[in-house]
Amino acid sequence: MTNKSTENYSALSQMKDDDTIISIQDVSKKFCRSLKQAYVYGLKDIAAEVFGTSRGSHALRKGEFWALQNVSIDVRRGESLGLIGVNGSGKTTLLRTISGLIKPDTGSIRIRGRIAALIALGAGFNPLLSGRENVYVNMSILGLSRQEIDKSFQSVLDFAEVWDAIDAPVRTYSSGMRARLGFACAIYTKPDILLIDEVLAVGDARFRTKCYRKLNQLREEGTSFVLVSHSSNAILNICNTTVYLSKGNVVMCGETDLVMSKYEEDLLKIGSESGKGAMANLSENSNNSEELHILSILFKDDKGNTLKTLVSGKPAYLCIRCKAYKMVENAIVGIIIRDINNQHDSILSINSERDKQTLEIPPGEQEIKLKMPYCGLKPGIYTIKLSISKRPFYIYDLVESFRFEVRRSRNMNQCHFYQPRSWEIEEVKVER
Amino acid sequence: MNKVPIGETLYTPKSKILRPLKLFREMYGDLFASRELAWRLLIRNIRGQYRRSFLGITWAIVPPALTAAGLTFANDTGVLNIGETDIPYPAYVMLGTVLWQTFLEALNCPQIAINTSRPLLAQVKFPHEAIILTQLGQILFNLIIKLAFVIALFIIFRVSVSWTIILSPIAMINLIILGTAIGLLLVPVTNLIQDISRAMEVITLAWFFLTPVAYPTPDNPILNFIVKLNPVTPLLVTARELITTGVLSQPLSFAFVSIIALIGLVLGWLIYRLAMPYLIERIS
Repeated sequence: MTNKSTENYSALSQMKDDDTIISIQDVSKKFCRSLKQAYVYGLKDIAAEVFGTSRGSHALRKGEFWALQNVSIDVRRGESLGLIGVNGSGKTTLLRTISGLIKPDTGSIRIRGRIAALIALGAGFNPLLSGRENVYVNMSILGLSRQEIDKSFQSVLDFAEVWDAIDAPVRTYSSGMRARLGFACAIYTKPDILLIDEVLAVGDARFRTKCYRKLNQLREEGTSFVLVSHSSNAILNICNTTVYLSKGNVVMCGETDLVMSKYEEDLLKIGSESGKGAMANLSENSNNSEELHILSILFKDDKGNTLKTLVSGKPAYLCIRCKAYKMVENAIVGIIIRDINNQHDSILSINSERDKQTLEIPPGEQEIKLKMPYCGLKPGIYTIKLSISKRPFYIYDLVESFRFEVRRSRNMNQCHFYQPRSWEIEEVKVER
Repeated sequence: MNKVPIGETLYTPKSKILRPLKLFREMYGDLFASRELAWRLLIRNIRGQYRRSFLGITWAIVPPALTAAGLTFANDTGVLNIGETDIPYPAYVMLGTVLWQTFLEALNCPQIAINTSRPLLAQVKFPHEAIILTQLGQILFNLIIKLAFVIALFIIFRVSVSWTIILSPIAMINLIILGTAIGLLLVPVTNLIQDISRAMEVITLAWFFLTPVAYPTPDNPILNFIVKLNPVTPLLVTARELITTGVLSQPLSFAFVSIIALIGLVLGWLIYRLAMPYLIERIS
């Protein structure tokens, strides 16, 4: 069955226009969770391969699951493709299948041109050898001849900015230097297609910016990309089309903006399923103290109605329902808001003590309200970490992560935050 | 169908063996393409190996030298009773050990090559022949150093050599070919199942005693039969005879085993190539 579809396909591809640089047709790939069984299957598959018999690759055997199922994607010359999906959705498997590292189990992949894969930077670096020696080894692994390496060596050096250190052993390099050198090696192999797997998450902000600038330049020169990333910004900036994978299936494929918002919506859904718990299970939280429990967190509008989502620029109250068992004096509420895609940096950090507020919570169920005249956050999904504590170092109760969504209002395109504003025109009185 | 244009790559689940001509062309092409890479990796490995060590290449000759010294001691004290050898025993056993170890290194070559390049194999696509060539280069490098030591020993013991010594590299290369062929044929099992690589250690130890490394071909008919069944025997004995006496005792079996080894090498290469994608899937 598979054979047939491959043959049909190759006839088809002649008719397709010549610009298609990667053509993925009905590709599936299965894996086995049990290691021992995987080895036994491996031996059987190798035997089938050697004797040329069918290995029945289109059916699952016991203990196997589809890591990719019937994925079909076309990428044209100069186009860039983004791959998103939660962990384990098959992004890396797809990337490895495209790069030819592993064989597809059904379907076919047709590729025109030279591929370079940035799956791990500096694969094959020997820490004992100098940077120079490693550049030569690394680039010949990527398929360049000595003359070609000689030609691009200076550019690699300039990009990686390791001029002085090039003759020192790579072991003495910082991780950033190593990443830069690895990235430069791959970039200067002049590939037609570049596969990038979240490698740009390493390195400092300056290096990342530099990489993206370089990638943009390459894109303008006609290089195609397949980019796997969790950062929506990276994909939005580089890719025209995006494929959203979930459990090995293509959920959606199309313009990056649309796919991205669908993905983020789904992320929130996953969140709210368990998210109901985030508010409900708090009372069972054993970490809380005897004096005060946080019961739930919710948003309200200025009329007191509960809000499911916030909207940029609209007013909102953050309400913390809690139950005090005795008078709590000098409570401090700390709130840290983070972007769901970037849990390292906080976007907002609000602290009642720094706001010069002394909160006194009388016994009984209380609601602490934080008024936000304008929600300044841009559209997206965020998490709140919230704590009620007193000086020094005593935490009454803590909510590790509460997820919420901020929706788009019409005038929030290309903005990083909402700026409250008003317009007017005043006549300038010119003195004579 | 399937005229894949130049510069175009096609990946399908079909077995490559179904189109043998294309497969052989690819194999040849990859072997050719991997020369430069293999050379670079070899230099990288050798440099990396010796950059951290003060004694450097001395380590290549310590194991055979110790084995030879031990066996000589055992023979001199009478613990071991070995028949008459053509040349002084220390030189004899040293030469034998060096040849045996070269065979052993060749046997383990594919497994070591795959194990040491795991991260590379899992992340980059490159001609996989390169890592085997690299390992073979390393074996040749080690052999040359060890032979230099053997020559020194020959000079000390004033051993005379035959003119046929210039032919001995052929026998040594056949020894390496045999080892590599067996190693490549076993690639699917040794790299997938841990038990096999453990078992190999035991098997090679027994194999050592069934090969006339430390003793000449025995007269005892049963032992003689077993030793002669051993494919390593004719290659190792011939290599030794070419260096020392120049009189060949088993030319026919030498030729026979050499041809088998060569066929085995091509078959092993084929299996290695076909098995690699499945191995990579599982080692990463």
